[in-house]
Amino acid sequence: MTDVPPGATVSGQARGGPGAALAGCRVLELSHSAAAVAGRVLADLGAEVIKLEPPGGEPARQAEPAFDGPDGQRHGFAFLAFNLGKRSVTVDTGTAAGREILTRLAAASDIVLTDWERSGSPEEADRLRALCSAANPRLVFCEIWPYGRGEYQDTAATDLTIQAQGGHLYLNGDTDRPPVRVSAPVAVLAGGVEAASAALMAYYHALRTGEGQQVDVSMQACVIWTLLNTTMTWQCMDIDEIRGGAVKKERGNSFFTRLVWPCKDGFIQFGPVGGGGGKARDISLDALIEWMREEGFFDEILLAHDWNGPNRFSVPQQAYDAVTEVIGAFIATRTMDELIKRGMKRRILLAPIYTVPQLLQAEQLTARGYFREVPDDRRGATALHPGPFARLSETPLVELRPAPDPGADTTAVLAAAGLTPTEISALRRAEVI
Amino acid sequence: MSSGQADQRDSGAPGEPGRGIFAGLNVLDFTWAAAGPIITKQLSDNGAMVVKIESSSHPDSVRLGAPFKDAKPGINRSGFFADFNSSKRSVAVNMGSDEGRALVLRMAAWADVVAENFRPGVMDRWGLGYDRMREANPRLIYVSSSLYGDDGPWSGLAGFGAQGAAAAGIHGLTGWPDRPPAVPKGAYTDSTSPRYAMAALAAALVWRERSGLGQRIELSQVEATVEILAPQLLEYQLTGAAPDRAGNALPGRRLHAVLPCAGDDAWIAVEVRTDAEWEGLLGALDRYGDTEPLRKLTAVESLDRPAEVERLAAAITATADRFELMERLQAAGVPSGVVLSGSDLLADRRLRSHGHFWALAHPEMGTLDYNGPAYRLERTPSRLTSAAPLLGEHTDEVMRTVLGLDEAEIARLHANGVLQ
Repeated sequence: MTDVPPGATVSGQARGGPGAALAGCRVLELSHSAAAVAGRVLADLGAEVIKLEPPGGEPARQAEPAFDGPDGQRHGFAFLAFNLGKRSVTVDTGTAAGREILTRLAAASDIVLTDWERSGSPEEADRLRALCSAANPRLVFCEIWPYGRGEYQDTAATDLTIQAQGGHLYLNGDTDRPPVRVSAPVAVLAGGVEAASAALMAYYHALRTGEGQQVDVSMQACVIWTLLNTTMTWQCMDIDEIRGGAVKKERGNSFFTRLVWPCKDGFIQFGPVGGGGGKARDISLDALIEWMREEGFFDEILLAHDWNGPNRFSVPQQAYDAVTEVIGAFIATRTMDELIKRGMKRRILLAPIYTVPQLLQAEQLTARGYFREVPDDRRGATALHPGPFARLSETPLVELRPAPDPGADTTAVLAAAGLTPTEISALRRAEVI
Repeated sequence: MSSGQADQRDSGAPGEPGRGIFAGLNVLDFTWAAAGPIITKQLSDNGAMVVKIESSSHPDSVRLGAPFKDAKPGINRSGFFADFNSSKRSVAVNMGSDEGRALVLRMAAWADVVAENFRPGVMDRWGLGYDRMREANPRLIYVSSSLYGDDGPWSGLAGFGAQGAAAAGIHGLTGWPDRPPAVPKGAYTDSTSPRYAMAALAAALVWRERSGLGQRIELSQVEATVEILAPQLLEYQLTGAAPDRAGNALPGRRLHAVLPCAGDDAWIAVEVRTDAEWEGLLGALDRYGDTEPLRKLTAVESLDRPAEVERLAAAITATADRFELMERLQAAGVPSGVVLSGSDLLADRRLRSHGHFWALAHPEMGTLDYNGPAYRLERTPSRLTSAAPLLGEHTDEVMRTVLGLDEAEIARLHANGVLQ
């Protein structure tokens, strides 16, 4: 905590309101990608997140994929999405005057978020950290790096190479093709969200003890956490899980299981038999068999094995393939809507594989009012955004506001930090801000 | 903090060196499977006393899930369970009995945090819903994480992370454009939602420091996962073009591919963005084959013909040792990474150097390497203090130290089947 009372901010203007969980928490964000994702989480929770951008704005603003707005600017979708609810100060931290501003802001802040793409080099990150931490011993300085800080901090990496090094790629795709990525930068995203939670843990500690610290997030380790049990499968069973596209051989199964099934108008996810255990799977299979019987698709093979019983990990592949052929033929005759209404809602453990457009129409998400329209007409970017990631009964997440223009809050933030109008004008003339 | 810490190992004043950020924090943990236990693991690995409430009639379902140590199934032998439950205690109590539920309710006054990820309504039916527990402890932070959320037409539906990741749009974005979705390994909602849940929980702890009040956090695992697809949702709405699975292609890169290496199923991921990286790539590949066809391509041609670039590069890398090639590409400043398998991860020097794996001894499973946190805290390091608990391993200890029961009472509760 700085000496600002809860609910107040640098500008004296409440951000997120006194009702937000992180009201009174000030965050400086020097980001390219991952730290912006982290900053968005803190902004949603009511922190005052101030982006420090180079004059003209950070390069991430135009990062592809992007579109040309009616304001004549190119706007990256990731930038617009992950910078909602923030303020922006443009400052040239390459100058002595700029570093002085950074120091003053750090002294009045609680958390700094940064990532490897923005820092450029470990040495530069260390200089930034030394500057900020010297100004404020209570400061949480959170950095996101492909491999974390340390011996391998210089390994050249991108989202693709970290998906590979975190064990994710090896397990994705078809056996007759190379491993394949998720078509979204999941290593960057996981690193960003992980950093938000780790920075807040450290902030909680700083609030209670006055002790700030460095928080160092490894994206590679974040990716491993998405695998869930791959490293244990090797250690427990000497089995390296392998990829299998729509079919999979995982968690020590001795056979490939089919997880993706074409239906009349798309795909569903379903593991009708084999692999998993528990009552829910028995209920699911019974309900499926009953439905297939009603529709004239019953086949003896559906009852030929105790599919989810004690031998569920060692079903002969031939038997498995035979039963899935029968089940697959049935599913292919149904629409996604029918499978949801008649299948999923009667306790069959399946789910629609939604496309991006279908997500916006998804029954459950729209019923809960999940998507929120954020007006941003000037950029031609008024659209629905994902709403609250959680509902907090006493401190709801804050309303979403569009990403700031570069330097939109420079004057207000510097004035609140104690700079006089004359000093601010001088900095502007010197192109520091 | 509440009183009644059980064990000197995990207690101690907050901020005391080596104690962890959550030293002194008491957690009543009803979570099961993956999405819940991964949240409370962040607490237990950072010093909190996390008491997992289970029963032998309804154990945590992943105790029944492979991989089992040495492929021998057993309630205490699942590696799947082990990894998510380090540093925790396990109490086995019959939640079907009035007395069992009453015992657990008594722990509400002791707890700082309650966490659960049942289908909505289960905790209320047990008389352990938020409103009931808050009466006993207004400072309580109560975290409920479910697949689809508290309300809405799907809220009561059963499901696991595999269903969640499909409904959250992750499956559809994975794989080749000419083939069905490929389903990424690891149910994505199970790993994404705990990060958001932990951020919300930490924020609630911060707010409690200021207000003295607890609150309830309700989270839908699917919603928390759709958060990360915000750019794709925006792109579709603003351009009308729907982002879809695109294999390994990424526009604007001179190379963005997973290339074969020498050996069985051996691969390397390489990304080339700049002229300098392109020169670095060619220099590194020279020793393995003829780079002339690649050199003939102009920058524009290489951007326009990603499949050709990939084919030409793959023909050369196919003879290279994957680790050696990564070294050479790194020396040339080219972003690159060997595609690591499960066994490769355990041997990876980068992970080891960051202190990712923790060797923990377990009475039935022996010593295994557990995954530790992906973050490092400079002053208050995380510490995995013990392997996953045996079912009910700490029942008597928790009854004694948390609820103050005497031996005779504990024996009576065992005899009646309330404790297991």
